[in-house]
Amino acid sequence: MATADGGAYSYSLTVFSPSGKLVQIEHALAAVSQGTTSLGIKASNGIVIATEKKSSSILIDDSMLEKVAVICPNIGIVYSGMGPDFRILIAKARKSAQAYWKIYGEYPPTRVLTQEIATVMQEATQSGGVRPYGVSLLVAGYDSNRGPTLYQVDPSGSFWAWKASAIGKNMTNAKTFLEKRYNDDISLEDAIHTALLTLKEGFEGQMTEKTIEIGVVTVPTLAELEEGKIGGVTGRVKPTFRKLTEEEVRDYLAL
Amino acid sequence: MNSLVRQFLITDADRETERSSELTNEDRPSDALWGSQAGFGHLVEGHAFNIPAVPDPSAFLRLHTDDHADPNCKIKIQHGTTTLAFRFQGGVIVAVDSRATAGSYIASGTVKKVIEINPYLLGTMAGGAADCQYWETYLGIQCRLHELRNRERISVAAASKYLSNLVYSYKGMGLSMGTMICGWDKTGPTIFYVDSDGSRLKGDLFSVGSGSTFAYGVLDQGYRWDMTDEEAQELGRRSIYAAGHRDAFSGNTCNLYHVKEDGWKFIGNYDITKLHYDGPGAVPGAPGGGYGYDVRTDSRFSTLSEPVAA
Amino acid sequence: MSIMEHNGGSVIAMAGKDCVAIASDLRLGAGAMTVAMNFEKIFPVSDRIYLGLTGLATDITTLRDRFRYLVNMFTIKESRTIEPSTFAHLVSSTLYSRRFGPYFTEPVIAGLERTPSGGLKPYIAGADLIGCLNFAEDFIVAGTASDKLFGVAEGLWEPNLGPEDLFETISQTLLNSVDRDAYSGWGAIVYVITPEKVITRTLKGRMD
Repeated sequence: MATADGGAYSYSLTVFSPSGKLVQIEHALAAVSQGTTSLGIKASNGIVIATEKKSSSILIDDSMLEKVAVICPNIGIVYSGMGPDFRILIAKARKSAQAYWKIYGEYPPTRVLTQEIATVMQEATQSGGVRPYGVSLLVAGYDSNRGPTLYQVDPSGSFWAWKASAIGKNMTNAKTFLEKRYNDDISLEDAIHTALLTLKEGFEGQMTEKTIEIGVVTVPTLAELEEGKIGGVTGRVKPTFRKLTEEEVRDYLAL
Repeated sequence: MNSLVRQFLITDADRETERSSELTNEDRPSDALWGSQAGFGHLVEGHAFNIPAVPDPSAFLRLHTDDHADPNCKIKIQHGTTTLAFRFQGGVIVAVDSRATAGSYIASGTVKKVIEINPYLLGTMAGGAADCQYWETYLGIQCRLHELRNRERISVAAASKYLSNLVYSYKGMGLSMGTMICGWDKTGPTIFYVDSDGSRLKGDLFSVGSGSTFAYGVLDQGYRWDMTDEEAQELGRRSIYAAGHRDAFSGNTCNLYHVKEDGWKFIGNYDITKLHYDGPGAVPGAPGGGYGYDVRTDSRFSTLSEPVAA
Repeated sequence: MSIMEHNGGSVIAMAGKDCVAIASDLRLGAGAMTVAMNFEKIFPVSDRIYLGLTGLATDITTLRDRFRYLVNMFTIKESRTIEPSTFAHLVSSTLYSRRFGPYFTEPVIAGLERTPSGGLKPYIAGADLIGCLNFAEDFIVAGTASDKLFGVAEGLWEPNLGPEDLFETISQTLLNSVDRDAYSGWGAIVYVITPEKVITRTLKGRMD
């Protein structure tokens, strides 16, 4: 039965094959591994997530492409796989973060938001008339409870915390590369360079600020945390996640 | 009055009333109002109360005194109270609480709700404090005049009827009174209940006010005609305690009076919280210890002192 | 008769130096009639947050259960204990979710908030029945005796009271205020929350 096309178990409703596989999910994972490479590295004082931004034609205005998305001031996400599916997920994630803020007056911890997205992705594997999301995500965020954390979410809805991970095309090679380069007290600056080096491994064409996107999580200082509290000077949380500007990316590439 | 003396006796208040009456073109209040007629001069001399210059004075009054319909009305009438009186073999027991409330605010905890009309007559106060105080004092004057005119004390029946007829003449004008006229006359110990609706009832046992139901509970349960004086006093005290304890608008202290053949006697003032925790102390008729349910049961009703064996 | 006054009862919270206190009376009434003198209105939320609820008794017990559910869910989902400020927002949004058919309760929150540097800071807050939060540095009052509590607390409270002095201040404030309120009293209970422990004491009050 388990033929190359999935046989009788490849309808849009995800059903178990007799061998216990959910073939639709495996197909979704296949879609992810055809997507551009993305990776994330947790450093001692922050996290970097990065991806390759490849457009199929030079005529496309790639300045409008966005593959690293800000969800809320403390969380950002990068993906590999299908862009349209990712767009739906970030819309849901952003709504979820704002709903959390409305209830608790603060933004969700990374794990809670990750779980929220993972739940959405899992539902697509168990509902009728839908297909699983064709993306894997790397969720990077900071919260006062767990500090900086990096999660990977797969089309099945499963998620894990990583010190460093890669998804998409060349993920196996990239992971091997990261395993060799990673150590626990790597600094954020070094992590950014490691990220760029890892991407370079499987990169086709020229790596420029136009073809690379980077997001970073920085651990806030005590003073910055105090300020975010009610009664602080601004009463507003200083973002701990931000995307690097093209200038910043260019500077990192030049080094 | 001697004009020279007057010149030195005149007060700021007098000047103020004089000035204001000039301004309003009203007649200057006669000296009788403030003199030996104790503020009742205008009634004695056939004058009446000043009536607001509106087409319907009683509707105007209701507008400003009916705090059921409008809690923000200007004139507050005291509704919360517990008063009781009962007749028994040894005379009449009169017991009242001492709380005055304005809405939920406890305005006073030391109100005298027994009005000593004369040495043989007591009146209790429920409803409008001013109404009770004013008209029962006025009743006292009329009772004394009766004594002087007839060379004998007025009967409780007559006194209470005088008050009843009086308040009836003001019916619909917003008077609020629920009172018990208690005394001892030729017929023996007597109680009349009189209220501002015009009711006048003779009876052995009454309780009036928001806490009356609680007082009745204790009173009915413990009442006998042949109680001793001590038992009767204890019953009155215990009944006011019950009302003070359960009713939010009654409490603070209990004032206890006993009317006997030779007139009334003030028995005592008792703090209701003290009655709850410690009881009335070494007074005759009291069982000793606090009246409080949890005090008497030592909280055994809601907790098990020993764990239940499995 | 106001629904907020039907059952009676009052709560007050005060901030001290590295400690907070919260106290309530014990009356449960039905209008003017006192039906119970052991009705507690303050509930633990965590080992350093207490929630006081005044107003309609049925809503007090319902909200107590509801917040217990919500906080338990939060604790399990996020594997961390809720902070007082976070809990205050939860209370606020829960009450506002019933904007057009409110719970008739005014909550008071007292706790010690974990600071970014790891210390504990006094935190007190109150809200109206539809969740408008009120943060205060000194004290929060609610219930049928709230106007009296405001007056007495304004006179007795001072900054930086230690646990024992704070206990004395909140106890005297509550006891003397409820003695001027027909709908509150009949005993009281006080909680003083310190970083080390929570001191719980029941007070003898006027029983009328």
